[in-house]
Amino acid sequence: MEQNNSLPPFQGLASPQGALTPVMPMFSPMMPYGSGLTPQPVTNTNSLSLLEEQQRQQQQHGMPGGSGQTPQLYHSQTVTTTTLPGNTPLYNTTPLTPMTPITPATPASESSGIVPQLQNIVSTVNLGCKLDLKTIALRARNAEYNPKRFAAVIMRIREPRTTALIFSSGKMVCTGAKSEEQSRLAARKYARVVQKLGFPAKFLDFKIQNMVGSCDVKFPIRLEGLVLTHQQFSSYEPELFPGLIYRMIKPRIVLLIFVSGKVVLTGAKVRGEIYEAFENIYPILKGFRKTT
Amino acid sequence: MAAVGLKCPECGSLDIVDDEHYSQPQLVCADCGAVVSEGLLTTTRSEELQGTDVRYSNSTEVNKQPCRNQIKGIHRVRALCRILRLSFVMEETAENYFKQAYEHPSFIRVSLQKKEVLAGCCILATCRQHSWPITMGTMTCLLEANPKLMGVVYQEMVKALKIEAPPTSVIDLLETHCQAYKLSPQHVHEELSESSKDLTKRAAVLLELAADAWLVTGRQPVPILTASIYLAWQSLKPTQTRLKYTLARFCQMAKVAKSSIAPKRVTELKEVLCKLGQELPWLRGSEMTPQTVVQMVDDILNYRLTLLRKALKSHEAALASESELPPSLEDTQPGPRDDAPSLDATASQPDAESAQQPQQDVDLTCTVVMGGLSRAGSGQVSTPSKRSLFEPPSVTHAKIRRVQLPVKEVTGDEEISDSEIDSYIRTPQEMRDYAEAKEALSSSEEEF
Repeated sequence: MEQNNSLPPFQGLASPQGALTPVMPMFSPMMPYGSGLTPQPVTNTNSLSLLEEQQRQQQQHGMPGGSGQTPQLYHSQTVTTTTLPGNTPLYNTTPLTPMTPITPATPASESSGIVPQLQNIVSTVNLGCKLDLKTIALRARNAEYNPKRFAAVIMRIREPRTTALIFSSGKMVCTGAKSEEQSRLAARKYARVVQKLGFPAKFLDFKIQNMVGSCDVKFPIRLEGLVLTHQQFSSYEPELFPGLIYRMIKPRIVLLIFVSGKVVLTGAKVRGEIYEAFENIYPILKGFRKTT
Repeated sequence: MAAVGLKCPECGSLDIVDDEHYSQPQLVCADCGAVVSEGLLTTTRSEELQGTDVRYSNSTEVNKQPCRNQIKGIHRVRALCRILRLSFVMEETAENYFKQAYEHPSFIRVSLQKKEVLAGCCILATCRQHSWPITMGTMTCLLEANPKLMGVVYQEMVKALKIEAPPTSVIDLLETHCQAYKLSPQHVHEELSESSKDLTKRAAVLLELAADAWLVTGRQPVPILTASIYLAWQSLKPTQTRLKYTLARFCQMAKVAKSSIAPKRVTELKEVLCKLGQELPWLRGSEMTPQTVVQMVDDILNYRLTLLRKALKSHEAALASESELPPSLEDTQPGPRDDAPSLDATASQPDAESAQQPQQDVDLTCTVVMGGLSRAGSGQVSTPSKRSLFEPPSVTHAKIRRVQLPVKEVTGDEEISDSEIDSYIRTPQEMRDYAEAKEALSSSEEEF
């Protein structure tokens, strides 16, 4: 018996408000329901709505000596204001059914200009032969093997700086690389080490299993607001973890969003998924930017 | 005919038949009737086909009655609902959730410990849906469970049952939290007592201010609640007696659990109040310190709108004047007053230093104070124009990150040099040493 909760499922977020837009963003009935463009009825009982307006105005009237890094982008975004139907979205958002949105729909603005950096790649490869872990631990300098704790040899190489778990079945997991090519190179080096130790190692079925990226949107985020409007995707439990866990469905990525504006993306099999996920989340986060 | 080649020892006939005497198998000679051999009268346990234990899940009882643990769990849910004095509707909902979750494949086989915690999680989800303010910590205490386990089970349950339970906001929790403080005239001295209503009202305003100043998002709710109640209590009657009470003593007096994080929140909240209090016109230029701010909290909260506006204006002015002059020539901040004295004072020094060392590529020490911007190595000083009046503390006190080496471009298919691989393999001498050392170690271990 599924209880659909009291809150209406889609409280979209406010489109990026600049001083050039009217205070109440317009929305036409032609907008697909739940496209994320329906403005969120912000119950701003506190004193700071005034504050935000002021702050916005301050930022509109030029950032004194803006540094080269992000303000350019910032300016352009406030100029392009509300996105209206008629613009093709940057990424293919599927036609959403009201009750079960799959993608947090993106208003068609330019890309954020921020590129997530890859921090960790996990890959697996099959060496194709049974291995004797005791021999490997004996003959390799960079190996540790503690059968009571874990049934695999932990081997490390310096360049690229990675760690590998080598199992007696011949399968190996390689972690710590910063790019797909580095991961592949590292896996090959481990395979070569195992070869030199006297085993007929091959290099079969190399596959990237997980990719982790991170980036910084450079503004603080109201996580409480985000969890209320995107309840189906987010989980925010400050008693357990300080960040908000956002499970995006398309692409299937998990994002950890923190109040400082740092975002960690994980669960990708290819690099493009991380970029796509970030481009999907950036407009949503912008909607929750409260400049105080 | 029985086994070939068997001869009756009595008469020597080869006609031996298999004949059972009740349940005992016997080999009998057909001619003279002598028993050649007999089997066991009883069978062993493993040979029994009927009468063995049947697992509960395979029996038919499953359909007739729910299992004992489920019944116990439902009783536990009911008991907890009574303790928390929840309404009948909520009790029913919680029971339903529990039944559904218990029979869900992801929970049917878990340990008993998890099933106990599951009862609490169902109640928690129900409370959240009906906007009944309760923290996970309270539930964990009631169940005497491990908080991490509670978190895991709660998240699994929400996912499995596909329910939506919005987390309680901190402000809703305030009133219930306030009730726990024993500050009525019958508990404490008259001068130190405070009515729950007044306390809640004042603390609510403080809490709102804290929330807007980014002190609440992403943090444990209870310490900030304690901090706001403490400051509310102090500021409602800022006499010397009250001001002398530290947070620890206050908690002791009010018979509330101490927290190690709450003092930090008090400090942060006082800083925010200082920033606002600095704008009070009747200060006439004197400094507002965390020590003196408590007396002025009343005024600050009454006029907080105006003070915020003024603080923003002076902040803007400070930023504008900063950016006019090149940062490398500035050693001190231009204005006599700054809204973030702690922030700006320390910022000015690294400003000057980093401008003189543009080649300092990935050194992040200067960016630490620059609001935690992680872009490194551009040699450019990040301008303070992005800094707003209030920022989350994790941005203000950003962690110093390890130097990030630039990512080398590799194709993944390069040649791997033999020498490099050889550096990872032990020489025969090393191997011998290693083997000897291991033997020595293992033999010494055996001795013990």
